[in-house]
Amino acid sequence: MPSRFAQSPAFAYCTADMLKNLILALFAFIAAPLLAASSAQLPNTRVELVSEVARPAPGQRFTIGIVMTPKPEWHTYWKYPGDSGIETRATWSNQPGVTVSPFRYPVPETYIVSGIMNHVYGAENVLLAEVDVPQGASGALPLSVKLDWLVCNAEICVPETATLTLPLTTGDGSADPSQKQRFADARAALPRPLSEPASFAREGNRIRLSIPLAGTDSITAAHYFATADDTLVFSAPQSLSRTETALIIETDAVPGSSPQQVAGLLRIERADGVLGLEVGAMPGAVSPGEPLAKAAPAGEPLAGFLPALGLALLGGLVLNLMPCVFPILSLKALSLAKSGHSEAAARSEGLAYTAGVILVCTALGAVAIALARAGEGAGWAFQLQDPRVILLLMLLTLAIGLNFAGLFEMQIGGASAGQSLAAKPGAKGAFWTGALAAFVATPCTGPFMAGALGAALVLPPAAGLAVFAGLGLGLALPFLAIGFIPALRRRLPKPGQWMVTFRRVLAIPMLLTALALAWVLGRQAGAEGLTLGLLFALIVGLGLWWLGLRQHSRGGTLVPAMVALVAALVAPAALARLPQPVTGGATATTSGLAHVAFSQEVLSGMTAAKKPVFLYFTADWCLTCKVNEKGALSSSEVAEAFERAGIQLMVGDWTKPDPAIAKFLESRGRAGIPLYLFYHPDGKVEELPQILTTDQLVGLASSR
Amino acid sequence: MMKSLFTAAAIMLAAPAMATAVVGQPAPALTATDTQGRTQSLAGLKGKTVVIEWTNPECPFVQKFYSGGDMQKLQAEARKQGVVWLTVNSGAPGKQGAVSAAEANAKIKAQGSNASAYILDSSGEIGRAFGARTTPHMFVIDRKGTVVFAGGIDDQPTADPADIGKARNHVTAALADLAAGKPVEVASSRPYGCSVKY
Repeated sequence: MPSRFAQSPAFAYCTADMLKNLILALFAFIAAPLLAASSAQLPNTRVELVSEVARPAPGQRFTIGIVMTPKPEWHTYWKYPGDSGIETRATWSNQPGVTVSPFRYPVPETYIVSGIMNHVYGAENVLLAEVDVPQGASGALPLSVKLDWLVCNAEICVPETATLTLPLTTGDGSADPSQKQRFADARAALPRPLSEPASFAREGNRIRLSIPLAGTDSITAAHYFATADDTLVFSAPQSLSRTETALIIETDAVPGSSPQQVAGLLRIERADGVLGLEVGAMPGAVSPGEPLAKAAPAGEPLAGFLPALGLALLGGLVLNLMPCVFPILSLKALSLAKSGHSEAAARSEGLAYTAGVILVCTALGAVAIALARAGEGAGWAFQLQDPRVILLLMLLTLAIGLNFAGLFEMQIGGASAGQSLAAKPGAKGAFWTGALAAFVATPCTGPFMAGALGAALVLPPAAGLAVFAGLGLGLALPFLAIGFIPALRRRLPKPGQWMVTFRRVLAIPMLLTALALAWVLGRQAGAEGLTLGLLFALIVGLGLWWLGLRQHSRGGTLVPAMVALVAALVAPAALARLPQPVTGGATATTSGLAHVAFSQEVLSGMTAAKKPVFLYFTADWCLTCKVNEKGALSSSEVAEAFERAGIQLMVGDWTKPDPAIAKFLESRGRAGIPLYLFYHPDGKVEELPQILTTDQLVGLASSR
Repeated sequence: MMKSLFTAAAIMLAAPAMATAVVGQPAPALTATDTQGRTQSLAGLKGKTVVIEWTNPECPFVQKFYSGGDMQKLQAEARKQGVVWLTVNSGAPGKQGAVSAAEANAKIKAQGSNASAYILDSSGEIGRAFGARTTPHMFVIDRKGTVVFAGGIDDQPTADPADIGKARNHVTAALADLAAGKPVEVASSRPYGCSVKY
């Protein structure tokens, strides 16, 4: 190991950091023979051997994982590494009879350096393998593996090697709770097989793949990773288009080759995450598709940046007219004109307002990007998917509306952020007005912004943030213009008593916004959630009314203000304690038939009770599934027949990775979906063909 | 962000230039000055079998073959059969393994390389014309100027010199097939190693 390291080019660029790593590596080398370890820290990679089962049982098949963590900026390789690089190799030295399967690799990423394509993992990745324990095994059952892998950055490649030993002993074969999450995550990162047949056509030096897929319009980026060298040029840009039922990928074919089939992995990126599908294609006709509106071609991460930025800017501008923003903006603009500021003061207010808007937009964008990267599936307005945030916004718009209506005045000390400061003149007030406007604007972003902001989430983070900042700039432009162009300020109407009336009128759009938010809240949190929200709205309203009365009578205002504030802050927390209403994902498409979500326990319970069950698995990306759901499965005849026969419908949604579903499919010997199963009351399980007909389903119900 | 910009720029620069040497077709043109100041040209070498080897002295996969003298032996055996052996370094200035002519000559001497010539391709022009992706990446061109082998040097894609003994060396085999007047049995293989540092 140290001799190999001495050869490695890293040595040539020895820095203090590398020296530390070298010492660590030397230490690991010295320690290795003394202490067989299940993990190792190499100069550029940390590797660890982990087992899903703490004490494997004789005869059991269980899963182990190799956790590989390259240093930041470094990467390890997929099984099919692309133009350069090598796959990770394992040499096992286990007890006789213990066998280990080849690795299952997670979905890789592309990494292009100087036109050379690498299929890599730039962060922690887990390679999974299945271990078979012989029947007669007992006592110590150590697993020992010598791993060889390649780890590279943009400049250099270093082969690394480590021997890992996991000291297992045989036992009851139950899962290790401490490893549960790690293995669930590792399985979620695996590609899933696409059972529908794809086709490819070669024309001259171009090759086109047609991959049957539903929901192609939500794809933001995709890349096809070919496994063989003789199909498509790894490094060539891939252009994406779509038809009604398929994703079309066109790219350069490898010159001089004539492949009989194309095998590989399709990586799809959507606003809600990454999906990997194993796709094999056979020769066939491929019709040209229409462009994917929102797709940025893979390998060119910055394509789509300028259109997204432009859209965001325009969208931000339009937001000024939205009922939630217009009142705040117009009052602020009037106050700027009213105060007869000097040029410099007007400019600084304009700039401060812009800074507030952009800061809040960028901050919300940063959170959205961070969540999206962490796999939370967030989009812009991600905060609006949370009923607690909706409630808070509702109470805020209500309070602003009541303030406009004259119920109370804002005169709480300058300590709290938001409207109190927003009403103040000067740069500080302008800044907070901007921040408030940006935050309140998010409910109004509307569907026309979704494209640009969706693109922002798949762009490199810095470019994505620029798009969010662009949205802020667009939102701030009118006020900025008023601040900088005296002519504009002069054209604003002369202040006077009418402004008080105008403010009263502006309460209407504000309160309408609160009403719209109440509707959203009802959709998200159900009738109980809505009732609770309205109750808090009432408390806030009464508190503010009380506040207004005290203000008129010059009484103390602290208590009523606190009542309103506390109610507003407690409301979201109270809402969180309500039970979550059941939401249907892909399963909502079946009409008429009541169904339960897939659960192995519930299924076992029903079959034990001799209840007939029709179980199927679906996903938003599965074309055949969608065809069946819109066809036979949604027919009223089938619904009636199932109801008459007392057949329980159970649906597993595999749109998002789900270890329980993956495990069930594995146990059925099935890699992919669709899968339609009918559990007869007598315990017989019938597997139906992938294309369902109404007659067939009705027949199923009457067969018993 | 900067990296993405560079990557995007690199793709734009690289994409049009990425032609390749295709097995069964005439080799791309190659005319260059070697580290001794001599002109080397494939056109001028017609009538001779030529092996082209992509190298990067700091790449562990190249070192696998030079540290134990295996590449040197292969070069000597090829030269004995009248084969011309060209070593090409496409490392861009400042990247790993990029050398000056004097450094290259010192390296040749120190390692005892038996190549006919060492060509510095710091612009990457020759590498891209051939579609060289890795170091090592090997090409064999027959007397008529046709590419008869392209790919990885053997079937053991590791950096461990211990694996050389159990490998099938595709270049040795291709040269033997050519000498025997037979078609080359394994005409291509997956190139493996470090990426060429264009």
